[in-house]
Amino acid sequence: MIGLSRATFTERWPLFTGAALTVCLGVALVQSSLLVLISAATLPVPAGLDPAARAAFVDGSSTAVTLSALTLAFSAFLAVFIVSSTFAFTVAQRRQELALLRLVGADRGAVRRLLVGEAVLLAVVGTAAGIPVGIAATRFQSGLLAGLGMVPAGFTAEWRSWILGVSAGVGIGVSLAGVLVAARRAGRVRPLEALRDTGGSARVMTAARWGAGVVFAAGAAALVIIAPVGGAAGGQAMAANAALCLAVALSALSPLLVPAVARLVPTRGPIGELAVAALGDGVRRSAAIAAPVIVLVGLVLAQAGMLTSTAAAGEAEQRRTTAGELVLDARGPVGDRVTDLPGVAWASTETVLPLAVTWGSGDDVESDDGQALVVDPAAYATAHPGSDAVAALHGRVAVAGPGSGGGSPGDTVGVRVGDSDLGPLPIVAEVPDAISDGADLLLTADSVPAAELAAAPSRTLVALAPGADRDAVVAALSAIGPVSTVADRIAADAAGRDATTVAVFIVIMGLGGVYALIGVVNAVVIGTAPRPAEFATARLSGLTRGQVVRAALLESAVVTTVGLVLGGVAAGASFVATLAVTSRMTGTPTLVLPWDLIGALAAGLYLVTALTSTLTTWSATRRAPVALLGAAT
Amino acid sequence: MVPVTTTTLAGAHPGTTPVAAAVALRGITRTYGDGPTAVRAVDGVDLAFPRATWTAVMGPSGSGKSTLLHCAAGLERVDSGQVLLGDTDITDASDDELAALRRERIGFVFQGYHLVGALTAAQNVALPLRLAGRRPPRAEVHAALAMVGLGDRARHRPRELSGGQQQRVAIARAMVTRPEVLFADEPTGALDSTSARTVLDLLGAMAARGQSIIMVTHDPAAAARAGAVVFLRDGRVVDRLVGAGAHDVANRLVGLER
Ligand SMILES: Nc1ncnc2c1ncn2[C@@H]1O[C@H](COP(=O)(O)OP(=O)(O)OP(=O)(O)O)[C@@H](O)[C@H]1O
Ligand SMILES: [Mg+2]
Repeated sequence: MIGLSRATFTERWPLFTGAALTVCLGVALVQSSLLVLISAATLPVPAGLDPAARAAFVDGSSTAVTLSALTLAFSAFLAVFIVSSTFAFTVAQRRQELALLRLVGADRGAVRRLLVGEAVLLAVVGTAAGIPVGIAATRFQSGLLAGLGMVPAGFTAEWRSWILGVSAGVGIGVSLAGVLVAARRAGRVRPLEALRDTGGSARVMTAARWGAGVVFAAGAAALVIIAPVGGAAGGQAMAANAALCLAVALSALSPLLVPAVARLVPTRGPIGELAVAALGDGVRRSAAIAAPVIVLVGLVLAQAGMLTSTAAAGEAEQRRTTAGELVLDARGPVGDRVTDLPGVAWASTETVLPLAVTWGSGDDVESDDGQALVVDPAAYATAHPGSDAVAALHGRVAVAGPGSGGGSPGDTVGVRVGDSDLGPLPIVAEVPDAISDGADLLLTADSVPAAELAAAPSRTLVALAPGADRDAVVAALSAIGPVSTVADRIAADAAGRDATTVAVFIVIMGLGGVYALIGVVNAVVIGTAPRPAEFATARLSGLTRGQVVRAALLESAVVTTVGLVLGGVAAGASFVATLAVTSRMTGTPTLVLPWDLIGALAAGLYLVTALTSTLTTWSATRRAPVALLGAAT
Repeated sequence: MVPVTTTTLAGAHPGTTPVAAAVALRGITRTYGDGPTAVRAVDGVDLAFPRATWTAVMGPSGSGKSTLLHCAAGLERVDSGQVLLGDTDITDASDDELAALRRERIGFVFQGYHLVGALTAAQNVALPLRLAGRRPPRAEVHAALAMVGLGDRARHRPRELSGGQQQRVAIARAMVTRPEVLFADEPTGALDSTSARTVLDLLGAMAARGQSIIMVTHDPAAAARAGAVVFLRDGRVVDRLVGAGAHDVANRLVGLER
């Protein structure tokens, strides 16, 4: 049977190369994300850092760990999805050939063994190629994290030899998972199917597709419903997963949805008719091309839409919850010096200290890093409308801040700020959580050693008295430290967060997106591989080569359009969840779509599918049409 | 699979010894679809195809010839009735048992050749043996190809062969397992008259050596080469001629098509 596989390979190399390539890139991506994650998680804190630098380091590397974990999850999902859909598609494309084997006496087991054997072979080849590609991907991903300043410059993910075992397991595991269902189904192909002229006679909407479609759609609905109770981080995660579930559901149902939606796309003329007919005939092919488009568009739009919406909601929230006109940056509690200045109505000084909170006792101690703000309760309440609860802050107690890491009222937590252990402090109240992160605990100056406080950076929100000479106040404040307006500061913060958002997006989605895009190219190539006879028939009925190529191009453009629409629908699940989350967190439902990204993605997809389709159809029509009609299969 | 003893079967020659027929059909029915659109493609056919005989099956288009052949070869399930291959009742045989039959006891030739395009002629011929887990000696494969006059085309791929040559490779592939019965559905349907004659000569030589052949055809000349001709109409056996010439066969067929 190896002989048959080898002979089939020379004839159908695009199928096999495509399948091995998806395994290779899947292995590379998972291996790289895993290595980066482990290296980020075990990154030692350099000795001799001052508390602020140390806090910044810990903060950066914990973000790096979170991002790498997300990247790993996304990569693993894509590897499973793309490899299994590619393998299933290659098997479906060979249905007639497999029926022919059945006709000359292959039983179900022989067909299954042939396919599984080939899959293992492809997995081995793909994995062997994937490991070195993974090393290159690791370099890229580490560089990206270092470029973002989340890990120190020169950070490299360390090579671990056990990763070879993991990668082999991933490569062979996803390949087997991908081929097993398809091989079972192919084993049941009826020998008589070999006698039909055209392939694709099998029912495309299988029970498995219905099952996956319904289950994942239900999962998406459930996630959308519960997302608002998840808070800022949990809600976002659930919104992203809702889009992922719906994308999987829509891909599973794509044999139904693609022709249905394609009927709405207007096409005219004989070329249009040919394209539409081919679409209807090749439902399995259209579905296979649409699936990675749906997943790619769904996930990218969901993630990007969520990030931009959250950023916009955060900015709006900051505007709403910050009063005063000017901000002064200084060191230590400079509040009294500011309030004493003529023309100042009030000032709220907020001194920022790195914070470590511990809960529990004995063996069961948990701790979390965050940020503490040392404030004057009355001034803070004035400067931040809506946080009246801060009035309960006095002496040696704490109030839970707008960040979510400090604990809840009623808890008593161990608090460390900078180098000082403040001992256990009771949390007596909480101000509303903010969607844009904020300090986890609010403290009074009574709790913190004066030396610690004096060295820490502080910002002071300043409101001008009616009729005050603004320039004079600014000049006086500038003697203490740099001054800017509140509006400028919020805008600058938002711009900074936007830059981080883009970077985060690239870290999580960048390589995965490229992988999904290659999955799309693959599906187009694999879909065109068995079509030379079909094209030859079209040319013998009077179409020119150019017309055949144009019809195939139109067909792939329609499929891409449908994939974009369905991907948008999948992302819609996360948009609904985002609206609910932002509404619950800030009172205003916010959805801001990154239209430039959407446009770029759509243009990129059209370009890639159009190019691939044109090249493959051109090469499939290379031989004179008569030469192709005689040969079977 | 239940071995059965076959005595006289409806439609068998009067006076034949009670030897199991190569293939016997007992009251088989096959209906496609249901409700008002149901088509009874084969309707209560009782038929025995004697051993070592070349039998042609004729009838108007849509009369159920292909369906009958598929049922007889176990490629299609019957709704009722019984299908016997030699002594073996294959009516309820499992999928794997049927696959084993196709590997070992029956061969197929179809109008459209159905060779594996990626494999050479020799590899196509060796395929059934390899599926049976054997590594066929080159000589055996070569002999099968030589028998159909293609000893020099072993390394050609199907698309490098003419239609008639491809059909002869298909015959070599069907015969390499030395099947009890060769099923052929319009084996000359896509061939010009010269190629068709070559193929029929091959089948004739095989029949002369004792091969049982069941062949569906539209061509009276082809049917006249066979020992017996069975006529179908609307899924029923309506006539049977033994040793008739092409002219008689054609006349009979025209009568049916009226
Ligand atoms: N798979 C199928 N599904 C539904 N109807 C079928 C199927 N196969 C055959 N039929 C119907 O059964 C009847 C007999 O078909 P069959 O192919 O056996 O005819 P035939 O005698 O071989 O015709 P021809 O000479 O044109 O090949 C026809 O009416 C046909 O439409
Ligand atoms: Mg027929």
